[in-house]
Amino acid sequence: MAKALFVLTLWLCTSLSTLAATPPKKPPMWGELASEQQQILAPLSDDWDNFEPERKRRWIGIAKRYPNMKPDEQTRVQRRMQAWAKLTPKERDAARARYKKMEKLPQKRKEGLKGQWEEYNRLPEQERRQLGSTPRKPSAAAPKVKPPAAASPEQTAPPEVAPALGPGR
Amino acid sequence: MNEQQIAYRIKQCLNRGLELDAGKLVRLKAAREQALARQRVESRIPVLAWAGNIIGKSGGPSALVPRVLLPMAVLILGLIAINHWQDSQLAAEIEEIDAAVLTGDLPLDAYLDKGFDAWLKHSSY
Repeated sequence: MAKALFVLTLWLCTSLSTLAATPPKKPPMWGELASEQQQILAPLSDDWDNFEPERKRRWIGIAKRYPNMKPDEQTRVQRRMQAWAKLTPKERDAARARYKKMEKLPQKRKEGLKGQWEEYNRLPEQERRQLGSTPRKPSAAAPKVKPPAAASPEQTAPPEVAPALGPGR
Repeated sequence: MNEQQIAYRIKQCLNRGLELDAGKLVRLKAAREQALARQRVESRIPVLAWAGNIIGKSGGPSALVPRVLLPMAVLILGLIAINHWQDSQLAAEIEEIDAAVLTGDLPLDAYLDKGFDAWLKHSSY
């Protein structure tokens, strides 16, 4: 009995130390991605190999969701992917925090956010600056990579980001 | 005879002395010294005494496995599992948010613009 328990304990200790010591599976380099993943993540091809493992895993996760997205969502992902990847970790964290904050708004207010964004962009630039607005990154407004074939119907849509200068969108 | 009376009688006897013969006194003295010597040895190595006590109480070295090592192994395994689960939950949450930001109605700039955030607050955000 005691011998069996000793063996069990030994096995537990060995397995948990292996579990703790084994690094999580290394995410693939660009060349190792499946061709479908490469097609979806094409806007990131230049920077992919420099991404941290955690970021690669996130993008692979998003690529997995991609086939289940609506066509307009696929277009948006394609259009925003590069700009999102070019942000600093701090900027991404701040954007996530604002998203979480907006998510907590009542449904009615959430639905009106797009209209409010448009209204905000109609404000004179000086007024926006006074509120804390900083000049926008050009990469967010000018994506250079074409979306894959799945998103082709929407690919000619105009950039959705308002220019930093001048009223209107 | 009640309790107080017994105590009084005992006190009187002790005051009178035990009146033991020399042989008994020598044996008592030897026993006392032996007991004191043993106590000194035990207190000099308290850690060993403590360990011996634990092992002795738990039923010898073979009982250490089920009573100490096995629960410890289970506890460590549990902690590793909780840590792993928390990490994966956090990663899943960030991926969820990223997907929502990338696909949502609002453009990225709406989440990046501090001015918009402040303006929303102004308009009863």
